[in-house]
Amino acid sequence: MQEVAVQPSAAPQPQRKRGKNSSELKKRLWRNKWLYVMVTPGILYFIIFKYLPMYGLIISFQDYKPYQGISGSDWVGMEHFNRLFTEPDFLNILMNTLILFGLNIVIYFPIPIILALMLNELRGTFFKRFFQTLVYLPHFMSWVIVVSISFVMVTMDGGIINELLVFFGFEKVNFLLNPSWFRPMYIIQVIWREAGWGTIIYLASIAAIDPGLYEAARMDGAGRLKQIWHITLPSIRGVIITLFILKIGSVLDLGFEHVYLLLNSMNREVAEIIDTYVYTAGLRQGQFSYSTAIGFFKSIIGLIMVMSVNKLSKKMGEEGVY
Amino acid sequence: MKKKSFSMLLTALLTFSVVLSACSGGNNNNGTTAPAASSNEGTNTVVAEKEAEPAAPTEIKIMLPLNTSESPPDTIKNEIEKLTNTKLTYQFFPADTYEEKLNASFATGSLPQVTYLKNQTTFIQMKEAIKDGQFWEIGPYLEEFPNLNKMKPEILNNTKVEGMLYSLYIGRPLARQGMIYRKDWADKLGLSAPANTDELFEMAKAFTEQDPDGNGQKDTTGISDRNELTYGAFKTVSSWFGTPNAWAEKDGQLAPEFTFQQYIDTMDFFKKAREAGYMNQDFAATSKTDAVNMFTSGKAGLYIGGSMQDIDSLNKDLIKNFPDAVLDTHSMVAGPDGNFAQWMIPGYNNVVLFPKSAVKDEAELKKILAFFDQMMTPEISNLMYWGIEGTHYTVEDGKAKPAEDKELIEREVKGYKDSVIGEAETNGMYESYNILPGRIHAEQLLLENVKVGVADPTAALESATFTEQGVELQQIITDATYKYIYDQIDKAGFEKEVESWKSRGGSKIIEEFNASYKAQ
Repeated sequence: MQEVAVQPSAAPQPQRKRGKNSSELKKRLWRNKWLYVMVTPGILYFIIFKYLPMYGLIISFQDYKPYQGISGSDWVGMEHFNRLFTEPDFLNILMNTLILFGLNIVIYFPIPIILALMLNELRGTFFKRFFQTLVYLPHFMSWVIVVSISFVMVTMDGGIINELLVFFGFEKVNFLLNPSWFRPMYIIQVIWREAGWGTIIYLASIAAIDPGLYEAARMDGAGRLKQIWHITLPSIRGVIITLFILKIGSVLDLGFEHVYLLLNSMNREVAEIIDTYVYTAGLRQGQFSYSTAIGFFKSIIGLIMVMSVNKLSKKMGEEGVY
Repeated sequence: MKKKSFSMLLTALLTFSVVLSACSGGNNNNGTTAPAASSNEGTNTVVAEKEAEPAAPTEIKIMLPLNTSESPPDTIKNEIEKLTNTKLTYQFFPADTYEEKLNASFATGSLPQVTYLKNQTTFIQMKEAIKDGQFWEIGPYLEEFPNLNKMKPEILNNTKVEGMLYSLYIGRPLARQGMIYRKDWADKLGLSAPANTDELFEMAKAFTEQDPDGNGQKDTTGISDRNELTYGAFKTVSSWFGTPNAWAEKDGQLAPEFTFQQYIDTMDFFKKAREAGYMNQDFAATSKTDAVNMFTSGKAGLYIGGSMQDIDSLNKDLIKNFPDAVLDTHSMVAGPDGNFAQWMIPGYNNVVLFPKSAVKDEAELKKILAFFDQMMTPEISNLMYWGIEGTHYTVEDGKAKPAEDKELIEREVKGYKDSVIGEAETNGMYESYNILPGRIHAEQLLLENVKVGVADPTAALESATFTEQGVELQQIITDATYKYIYDQIDKAGFEKEVESWKSRGGSKIIEEFNASYKAQ
């Protein structure tokens, strides 16, 4: 919620700082009036869809009854938060969330970068375009489709992967119901669906690098790998860090739908994450206040993470996102 | 240079997102903003209904679950409107996510005048709100409507909340569970319908090991099951084993089913069947569609737990693949003690509620009830249940015979079919004219089932904890049951989970049900 909200305010801010007195500020505002007009819909969007709904967080301190509304429901203070922290499953759910997040950062995050570097090295625009399209198409499939395709492939009853395992003389593996296979399945599906899409921004920023740099490097006798290491990577470092911070912001946002589709009675102990828990407790069982409290908790963690990583990146001499 | 290109990239992204949000803002102003705003204020703004003009058709908005993949076209709706002088707006939502929709609409005060729930579980969840007076009590009005007054009092009783009637029910046969199996396979292997649970196991075994489809490959399984304990195979087989229906008396006290030995025996049955490969190995992650597909694609020979009346649709899809396949139904499977049993539902599978937030006054409520009164006439109930005579069905021997084009019926009629209140005896609609021998058999078995039917004793009992937490707690038992069947926990482990169920609220449920039981 919060991490995206910082973007539109980023544009007007530096100008306010530069304005030395009010008349000059006015002049500046007037001169850039079309910029402000252009940014208005965006700001409105964030106010209406991102900030106004925060009003609803109030119900996490209430015993909210839909028919009594926010004004009519009883206040219960921190009761729902207490319940959350004392829930026997809470620690487990938080750990599951963090582990999946860790997998996302450690395994998934570098892949689009590597993929972009590899695509960039492809000579011949046709092949480059072709492969690029090929790898980002899965992004347009819904999770339902991705999970269903995997289901058909790995099912014990005639799934191709298990048939292959048997053919090569191995035992069948119960991918769908074995808790230890949940995380690998999750991350493989994330990579399959998202990696190509993730390369787009990297490719765009690679394309903006001055070709002169490469020419100079070649003149100095740098090979392909050296060029990547000394020119391409440093040039897109800013983008990498920005995307990393944005990713951190969604620390506990792992794509509810995906996990929910993979979740079943057998792998619940590793697959239940905060999002799915909020869904079952809140929407399916109608505990609105409790699930709002959980969502609130999640957002606060996200906010803290973004702020600390941003600070860290500034300390390291990078731009950060705000 | 590096900085410049980077900030240019950001600018481009920003502009792009602004343009996008501007577009979406423009398009959806009416649609998205209102619900988004109200969802956080919990007000009733969305329900701004157009008041029905005098003498003009009554406008009614109806929300109901949809069991097909697409909303039906208006063919049937237009006919109903003509006959009842109403203007109907049907809001169909997929049954899979109906709870979600129901809770969200309820929380935002946007339930329409007529709200169908999904099943008994959603009904239990709504009870608290019903007690709080969020829905109209309709009991006192029923006698004003001659047709509604015909509904069966014993079933109406099962839907009462604190002794008052708030809902109309959608009637269903009390016990339609059983098995649908490949009779051609059984005949080929010289098997007859299983008389007891041992023979059922043998049948699953034979279907797996003896190549019933005769293609020379071991590519068939016995039971095709899915990730659902109640409406999948588990509960039906468990009632054959003699497990009580949800609750039963034990040592003079009501106790939940999973504390009975028979429940453990059932788990052992499935554990054995799974280990030996006599059922689909992934059933804990298999959806209903996949389980049905497995059966209709000739990979499995036993489909247990659903309504035996489903044989029509299973047969339709199966003979597309195997024209020679023959299906039959069966439900008289004796337990180890030689007794027959079959769990029963309380006579309804769903109910309709009338939210006070949408139905403003008594006059409006009566108009809506008048519409339902008309729905209880043979004319309208036939139209909604069977479709248009001549197009979707024909009458033979005073019974309705569905048309050959099953896809057309599924598309145009099925959506409305599940919303007809009452049952054939009370609303006078046609019984079905069956040709499929398995279906005729099923109708006989429904009557047999009721003779050995086991009712849930808590259907009419009160427990505040059960209303609040029952569904959430049941998850513990469901998970434990699957883990036991998949051999991840043993009996001691299962009992530990039952203890956890007790300590997290189960004990209170037991106490409250027993108190309510004694007070009866």
